[in-house]
Amino acid sequence: MKKIFPITNAVIAVISGLLVVLGYFFPTAFGGIQATLIGWAIILAAFGLLLGVFNLFSVHWKKARNQGTGQIYSLVLLISLGLTIVLASISGPTGALSLWLFNTFQVPVEISLLAVLAIVLVYAGARLLARRPKWNTILFLVTVLVVLLGTVPLLFIGEITPLNALRDWITQVPAIAGARGLLIGVALGTVATGLRILIGSDRPYGG
Amino acid sequence: MAEIICPLCGKPNPPELDECQYCQAPLKSGGFLPSAPEDIEAEGTSPLSEVEDKAGAEPSTPKPAAYPEESIPDWLKATEAGFTQPSEEEPEATPPEDLTEQIDSIINPPDSTPTSQEGAVDDDWLDSLLADAGAGEPEALSNEEEPAEKSEVEPEPSAEEIEQEVSPKEEQTASQELFDKPDWLANLEASSTIKLEGGMFGAEPGQEEIAPKEVPEEESPEPIDQPDWLNKVLPEEQPESAEEPEEGLAAAELPTWLEALRPPEATSPTGPVEDISSAEVVTAGPLSGLRGVISAQPSAIRPQKPPTYSIKLRVTDEQQARMQMMEELLADEGKPKPLPAQHVITSQNILRLIIAIVLLLPMVWMIIGKRQQTSMPQPGNVPGVVDFTQSIQNLPPGAVVLVAFDYEAGFAGEMNLAVTNVISQLMNKNAYLTLVSTISSGPAMAESVIKATYTELGGAQEGYVDYANLGYIPGGTMGLLGLVNSPKSILPYSLDGSNVWAGAPLNSITSIEGFSAVVVMTNDPDTARIWIEQAGPKLLGAGTPLLIVTSAQAEPLIRPYFKSSPAQVQGLIAGLTGGIAYARTFGNTQVNGEWDAFSAGITISVLILLIGSIAGVLVKMLPDNRKKES
Repeated sequence: MKKIFPITNAVIAVISGLLVVLGYFFPTAFGGIQATLIGWAIILAAFGLLLGVFNLFSVHWKKARNQGTGQIYSLVLLISLGLTIVLASISGPTGALSLWLFNTFQVPVEISLLAVLAIVLVYAGARLLARRPKWNTILFLVTVLVVLLGTVPLLFIGEITPLNALRDWITQVPAIAGARGLLIGVALGTVATGLRILIGSDRPYGG
Repeated sequence: MAEIICPLCGKPNPPELDECQYCQAPLKSGGFLPSAPEDIEAEGTSPLSEVEDKAGAEPSTPKPAAYPEESIPDWLKATEAGFTQPSEEEPEATPPEDLTEQIDSIINPPDSTPTSQEGAVDDDWLDSLLADAGAGEPEALSNEEEPAEKSEVEPEPSAEEIEQEVSPKEEQTASQELFDKPDWLANLEASSTIKLEGGMFGAEPGQEEIAPKEVPEEESPEPIDQPDWLNKVLPEEQPESAEEPEEGLAAAELPTWLEALRPPEATSPTGPVEDISSAEVVTAGPLSGLRGVISAQPSAIRPQKPPTYSIKLRVTDEQQARMQMMEELLADEGKPKPLPAQHVITSQNILRLIIAIVLLLPMVWMIIGKRQQTSMPQPGNVPGVVDFTQSIQNLPPGAVVLVAFDYEAGFAGEMNLAVTNVISQLMNKNAYLTLVSTISSGPAMAESVIKATYTELGGAQEGYVDYANLGYIPGGTMGLLGLVNSPKSILPYSLDGSNVWAGAPLNSITSIEGFSAVVVMTNDPDTARIWIEQAGPKLLGAGTPLLIVTSAQAEPLIRPYFKSSPAQVQGLIAGLTGGIAYARTFGNTQVNGEWDAFSAGITISVLILLIGSIAGVLVKMLPDNRKKES
């Protein structure tokens, strides 16, 4: 059985991948089976999300039962999770209580985190040259200043047109070039990984 | 012609002499008188004759006829011939029964006869000799009684057969060999003579006189061919018996002067001797107690792991110190170290607080004061805003628009201005909004924005009903692909449980190109890219606009899709700048101080970076810090 199942898994994976790929090239012939397979994958992904919630609960349940420094945080998480489930079950996922929880807790907390991040980044940037006085640091700081100055009109100064053009050039040429290079590398890796899975050489599903 | 061999010097003497003419040793008192073969056979006094008789009895076993003549050795043929010939010539000789008795009486004297200790020793000597003879001929002498009986029962058939085969020449040679006694026999006789002082036969004077009388001098002795095995055994036996210590005698200690007189070859080994003092002593098996031998136990040949030899390195003190330091470091790795207590008031914390206050205070002041001093961005100067506006304006009234809320709640402050303006424009167009999301908090965000926007437009919070919140699409890219191909099968029901695909206006839509427009609101460039890659081709083919509302951080990566030809993204609103520019396209110039606060925040951040960097460089250039670094 141990020898049969891995072969079966590989055959299923390879055939499924080929059918989905063929659905792109021959949508009339393989579009239906492609949609069916994708529907199954979506259901499995949703079930995976549910498993993730259960795993989160079990992990923090163990932490909350044990005496430790993170016990209070686990307790807060468990209480929040239970309260959200109860309220969402009562009013529905988009009911008044759910939206109250969302607008009162989740949105302000996440925005506050980003605001703190902004302050920390400014502080780190101010001390960067003192900590690492190198040419790369200077180049980094100059780029940051140019992009910031070119993003919005400055207070009491107004818009600096040359900086706007320079900011556009930086964001559209060097930054995009680097990002596209990364994306091309990721795409090539994805293609190679997909081919390995399609021919059964790579079996992330086991076997 | 019988000669008497001197038991002491071993030289032949005439038979008439009573003492050896060479060494003056008594010959007849205890010496061994060689007699004629027939006499020897008749008396059976010679141990050799008895041994040979027993050895020769083997061919005379009940199965001699079955033996081939070639299988009988020569020495046995000669011996049997010597035994049988006199019996034929003298039929009146002593019968075999008498011979046996005589032999027994000689070897084992009657109990009435007083026997000395020396006699017992001679008996042992004879037994050992017989035993050794049996070792050479195991079949012949393994059973001592059986051959004697067989020789008594059937002496003549074997003798006759052997007599025919033995030639006269061989008989002559045998007789000559008999008279020429070998050295071992002479030594045996000499030793017995010396021990007994009068001889074994001397203990019985009658027999001593009988032997020479009965031996006719004229008759030649029966030729007896001494077997090879006896020649090999007897010379080896003598030194062994001489070396064996007598029982009951303790090993004597030689005096020093005698020890010093010992020849060096007796005390020192002649050849190289292996030193086995350090060898292991066998503790089990038949060789137990011996040293330096291979044990017969199976464990001796059992494969064992080779011994490990420790290699002692010469470690210096410096190396020892480093090793100890390394051990301490490794030991400290496993020990939990308590975190050092952090002081609340430190220079870093103070600097962070100062930066936060410097950043927040002007922005709060701008928002509270609702100031509008900074110039607002123009829609024509922000790429994608005008195209976005035109795409929305081109939508027919009551158009079905797919809106994806794929931005996190943390980006609501940046995104909501553009999002609310877009939603309000769509509401003004009476568009039917189909809300989806690829993140888990998206449905709540969508619901919240719809209600908030409709409220801002002056409607009741629960009043706007031209939308369907289909909820969360699991599976990431796969879910998006499924939505592109068949939205009905991926999200068949709305969050309130109604089958929105069964009724208008969604009942006419089978794929994503059935929507009038697709608006994607995301702060993540990867999510925007996935939407562009999965839905873009179908939307582009169907002429359905793909509009993207994104954050400022994702705008550089999405803008190439908008600027490409043909454009994969037909409209783009990025960040707060794009939201304000888009709002200005339809005359929404609400002054709430956000833009000035945003501008003030950017300006102050730039100033902090400049001041901090310059201060850092100056501090680094101070002479004290240089000394510390050096």
